[in-house]
Amino acid sequence: MSGSAKLSHTAAMILQTLDNGCNYGFDIMDATGLPSGTVYPALRRMESEGWISSEWEPEKKALAEQRPARKYYRITRAGSEILEASQQRYPLLAKLAGAKARR
Amino acid sequence: MSGAVKPPRSVRVCNLMVRVAAQLVPAAQRDDWRREWLAEIWHRWQFLFYAGVWDHRQSWALMRNCLGVFPDAIWHFALQDPVQERIRGWARSPWTCLGALAGALAVVALATGGFPAMRQLVSLPVNDRLVFIWLHPTAGGGDKELPADVPAAWAAHSKLLESVAGFHISRQQTVSSRFGSARPLVIATEPVLFQVLGVRPVLGAIPSESGVVLDQSAWKTLCHGNPRLLGCQVVLGKRVYRVAAILPSDFYFLTRHSSVFMVNRWPADRVNIIARVKPGVSIERLDGELVRISEDTVYYFFKGQLRMSFVKQALLTPVYLFAIALGVAGFLCFWAAHIRLRHIFVAFRTVSRRAVARRAAFFSLKVVLASMLTFAAGLEWSRPQSAVLFSSRDPASGPFLLWLYILMAMAVFFWAVADQRARCRVCLRLLCFPVRIGCPGCLLLDWSGTELLCTEGHGVLHVPHLAPSWDEESERWISLDESWKGLFAQTK
Repeated sequence: MSGSAKLSHTAAMILQTLDNGCNYGFDIMDATGLPSGTVYPALRRMESEGWISSEWEPEKKALAEQRPARKYYRITRAGSEILEASQQRYPLLAKLAGAKARR
Repeated sequence: MSGAVKPPRSVRVCNLMVRVAAQLVPAAQRDDWRREWLAEIWHRWQFLFYAGVWDHRQSWALMRNCLGVFPDAIWHFALQDPVQERIRGWARSPWTCLGALAGALAVVALATGGFPAMRQLVSLPVNDRLVFIWLHPTAGGGDKELPADVPAAWAAHSKLLESVAGFHISRQQTVSSRFGSARPLVIATEPVLFQVLGVRPVLGAIPSESGVVLDQSAWKTLCHGNPRLLGCQVVLGKRVYRVAAILPSDFYFLTRHSSVFMVNRWPADRVNIIARVKPGVSIERLDGELVRISEDTVYYFFKGQLRMSFVKQALLTPVYLFAIALGVAGFLCFWAAHIRLRHIFVAFRTVSRRAVARRAAFFSLKVVLASMLTFAAGLEWSRPQSAVLFSSRDPASGPFLLWLYILMAMAVFFWAVADQRARCRVCLRLLCFPVRIGCPGCLLLDWSGTELLCTEGHGVLHVPHLAPSWDEESERWISLDESWKGLFAQTK
């Protein structure tokens, strides 16, 4: 929770988008409208802070569909707590992330 | 599915970008990182392709999105311990400090187009006979403009002046034509000004009654530089004027800022005066004659109240001001920082002369570069403001510039001394790892001091938080001998 004060609006948007169900880097870019040069380093930083975790999807499943496996990101419990604090700090966060995702 | 369609060129370019950027990623994470990006690119292309919306716009968007591989790879690269250590070492180096100052100087040179005002100072004509004249009343103080009937009286009766013109600068009016609008310097003047300055228009003719003369910059802004539009109308405030002439591109009056000359027979109620004197005329002789003419013909009594300055002298005033400001700031700074000459002599006697000379050279170079930066930036960017704010005073060197220079010179010296103190006395690297020392309960509930360390093991800077009255030294450098070398070699 110590990081809640430091969480920028951009990072909060990314967390909110992950919480909304966007699990891949490019999907997050679409939902937030942020460039890849912002989204990916932010994902790395949040992963090192323990707010999100990443995992490769099962190789077998990807092979069966004849496509490369993707890495997906998931919000952790610590991340959810940070997000809650951020939602109080940025009241329009959920609406904003939702609106961009629908666009 | 993957083998069904050959990837288009844009996808291949994206894949190439990923492979190039992957070289920056540490080897342990490289494969994982590359797989993630390649998979995302592949899925994006396939999704759009099978949705039937893959086109040029989408392929450009994908390539644009893929540019993010570089910041992402750099993020991984910069997180490595050796890289971070190198960045920290680089930031502490004295060469970085000098390089940053030199870089800032280069940026100012680029932003101003190669220091035009500085070049103007260098290229001043030697036999300049142009004189600014303004009023400094005995009562009331401050510099003021002269009554507008004075230049005509001087022009009619003076034997020492070749020509004389009054002018008044303002920047309050928006000048607009049907092609554009701007807020340039508006110089209300009379036709004879151009004769005084010895300038001829490149297009049109100087109006004898009323009209507007534009310099090249104003001509480009207001009329798009079109020579066919000579004679078009421009609006100054609420009045309409006809553009009568365009001045040469190398001409400027007081400043290189875009200027509009509003020519009238009676430009303003009070004016600054510029005059061209005959060869060999001194300021004292001119003052005597002009005071006498004023008393005899227009009944103004200016004895001891006229101020005159040759244009060359006026334009060089910022240089003198800056030199004075540097001197004052240097003295104040050394006095406030308790730096005495005896300290330097003691240092020369007790410490290696080579080390002291190196420190002195670094300090001098730092001060010179920072001074050049502040002088150039102040001169290039403050002159138009100074000319406008203090148009009723000496137009080329307002008090604004003096105050600006004093403040900037103070900032330069205080920063240079503070930076010097925060560096190792031997290798000149910035000290780091501040450690608080002493017991917080023993000295007014606070720590007794802080110690900073040189990463090369040359010594420790002890900075007491409270200095006793019997010890004026605010900080102490403790050199570390050879026995410490092993410890620092291990920690590197």
